[in-house]
Amino acid sequence: MTSSKPVLAISAIAPIVLLIIMIAFLLGPASSFLQFGIVLPEVSIEKIEFTGNEIQATVRNTGPINVNVVLADVNDRIQPAAIEPDTSLERFETALVRIPFDWNEGQPYEIGVTIDDGTRFSKGIDAAFPSLEPDIDLFVFLGMIGFLIGVVPIMIGLLWYPFIKKLGKNSFNFFLAFTIGLLIFLGIDAVIEAAEISENHLSSVFNGELLIATVIILSFLALYGVGKKLTQKAEFSKLSKGLAISLMIAIGIGFHNLGEGLAVGAAIALGEVALSTFLIIGFATHNTTEGLAIAAPLTSTKAKIAKMIGLGLIAGIPAIFGTWIGGFSFSPFFTLIFLAIGAGAIFQVVLSIFQYMKEKSGLLSNISLFTGISAGLLVMYLTSVLI
Amino acid sequence: MKSGIQSSKMFYILLSIVMVSSLYFVVPSVIVAEESPRTFLTHTGLVIQTTGDVIDPIGYDGEALDFDPDKFMKEFDFGEVTILDDGTVLREFYITARDDQIMEVSPGVFYNVWTFNDSVPGPTIRATEGDLVRIHFTNEGSKPHSLHFHGIHKAEMDGVFESIGTGGKFTYEFYAEPVGLHLYHCHVHPVEEHIAHGLYGAYIVDPKEPREPAEEFVFVLNGLDTDFDGENNFYAANTIPFYYQHHPIEININQNIRAYVVNILEFDAVNNFHLHGTLFHHYPAGTDTVPSGYNDMLTMSQGDRQILEFNYKYPGLYMFHAHNTEFSEKGWVSTFLVKENANDFDTEVEYDDII
Repeated sequence: MTSSKPVLAISAIAPIVLLIIMIAFLLGPASSFLQFGIVLPEVSIEKIEFTGNEIQATVRNTGPINVNVVLADVNDRIQPAAIEPDTSLERFETALVRIPFDWNEGQPYEIGVTIDDGTRFSKGIDAAFPSLEPDIDLFVFLGMIGFLIGVVPIMIGLLWYPFIKKLGKNSFNFFLAFTIGLLIFLGIDAVIEAAEISENHLSSVFNGELLIATVIILSFLALYGVGKKLTQKAEFSKLSKGLAISLMIAIGIGFHNLGEGLAVGAAIALGEVALSTFLIIGFATHNTTEGLAIAAPLTSTKAKIAKMIGLGLIAGIPAIFGTWIGGFSFSPFFTLIFLAIGAGAIFQVVLSIFQYMKEKSGLLSNISLFTGISAGLLVMYLTSVLI
Repeated sequence: MKSGIQSSKMFYILLSIVMVSSLYFVVPSVIVAEESPRTFLTHTGLVIQTTGDVIDPIGYDGEALDFDPDKFMKEFDFGEVTILDDGTVLREFYITARDDQIMEVSPGVFYNVWTFNDSVPGPTIRATEGDLVRIHFTNEGSKPHSLHFHGIHKAEMDGVFESIGTGGKFTYEFYAEPVGLHLYHCHVHPVEEHIAHGLYGAYIVDPKEPREPAEEFVFVLNGLDTDFDGENNFYAANTIPFYYQHHPIEININQNIRAYVVNILEFDAVNNFHLHGTLFHHYPAGTDTVPSGYNDMLTMSQGDRQILEFNYKYPGLYMFHAHNTEFSEKGWVSTFLVKENANDFDTEVEYDDII
């Protein structure tokens, strides 16, 4: 076997070497042969911020060629500006365009940049909003928002535990199915939200939609493996199967809330939402159902209060980190990643609950399953309307 | 068994390479702060402190200039003069059209201009009423072009139905009439495209009895649609946006000024001209000797032109610009620096590194 080692290495490396040679050939001798078509530059404005008397735009070269950003404008009127670090942008490089401008709060603006070939790229903002100062007040504020939309509602939802526990087997199945409905809705919600971020904030070079699909599947597979291990372990230890399922639901919802927190924090920082009390109420009501989802599988076991609180925190605290990260440095890319991880995790949890129910009850075609899922979806939809 | 371990190792190595290299694209490049930010005063009076570059269309310092508006506004092409047997003055001009040149039209912005004699606008053709004007036209462009003069001439000299192909030549000949300020441009279809790219120029027919002596300037009001969306990205008097704002045109107090203003702006139906600090007498198309009005505003449609006569009572820096402020904020904004006597003002205005 040892004699085949070098052969094995060569067989692994050879295709890569050949690929490199091919690329070198295409870039070198064959480059003139392959020169056809017109290469168009592209610049994306990823972020627009309004400070004291300045408008700041983060621009990224998302095209196939290097460009120079040579002019800035506000509402299609040329304005003197500064660009940091400098005017030349290589592929994927970003720069900050700083335009001194006495902007008016609440007014829509369109920010544009012109590159060396005279092409103008622009992005509109519905309402100018002063970007938040990254200080301790904002830190506390964002933390509070995360706490209110993440931790508190889940804890409230967990309080359903004694009620569900007292129900009979059919009712218990109903609530597990109800949880499935909730989770399916959350998963779809996360996918849609990720797609929106991809469309509004992420430049097309990142292939946002494919990235979402890839991350969802990877996340699903990873949690499938972890979940299998966890439930196997549960059979040999004191860790009950119900608790294992709950833990996985909590982890899945945790990822989801991290993504949700990122989105909410970013929306606050970018001034894209009028963050009203009503919105907080909507999110809180919506997320209370997440607590119910964690509580349902636990009812088959004797769960300690401390463990339940722990599960609630696993699911809820990521929302706080989300609002912090999203509020202080919004990255559409990572928000999208976490939303997709959350979606993949949630779909995996849905599968686990199905398997758990099948093991416990044997059959999956009973009435409580369908009514439960339907009720879960409807409740989620109705609470989402509040947001 | 061993090969299995190795291939999984290989997989992880590949995976980590992919992840690390994707991070390179994802994480915005770190902006490294320089030791001390520099301070700039922009042309709008705003102050910028930055460690980066300033992008302010402050015009040219002279070196990067492909086209010199200062030179253009005072340059008249009187042609090669021959007195014919019957006493008629023959003026011969040579005009070459090209469409392959790239010109820096605003700092850092490069645009494919189509030119008469390598210039946008083309040379200002000037003759006296009754002169025989002969224009030797050569098309060195890749597309057909022509010369269409406004004025009185024979149909076959109109430059509309006979486009001159690549490498072609044509001699236009007509008598200079009537007196006035006219223009010429390429009339090959699509005319909008040929004009928008720069194929035009001013054409002046002086009266036999010369006009009152005055300092004379030509202002061709034009625009540039650099991204081809049917809207101008830049507006200017004489092509370069913001040029005369940073290079004030120096004149003297009480000096008689005559401005030849030609509007050849494409895409926008109306252009206008507003003079600060004084009013002008204006002569539509310059065909009459009596001014048609005394005003500080002129509204001009495409192809309209006006001769303006004015002087300044007080010294100082005065603006003239499109009162359609969209145009002025995209470059059609200029200044006169009126001097009490010849050495009153420092003419060099520095905008960079003031502090």
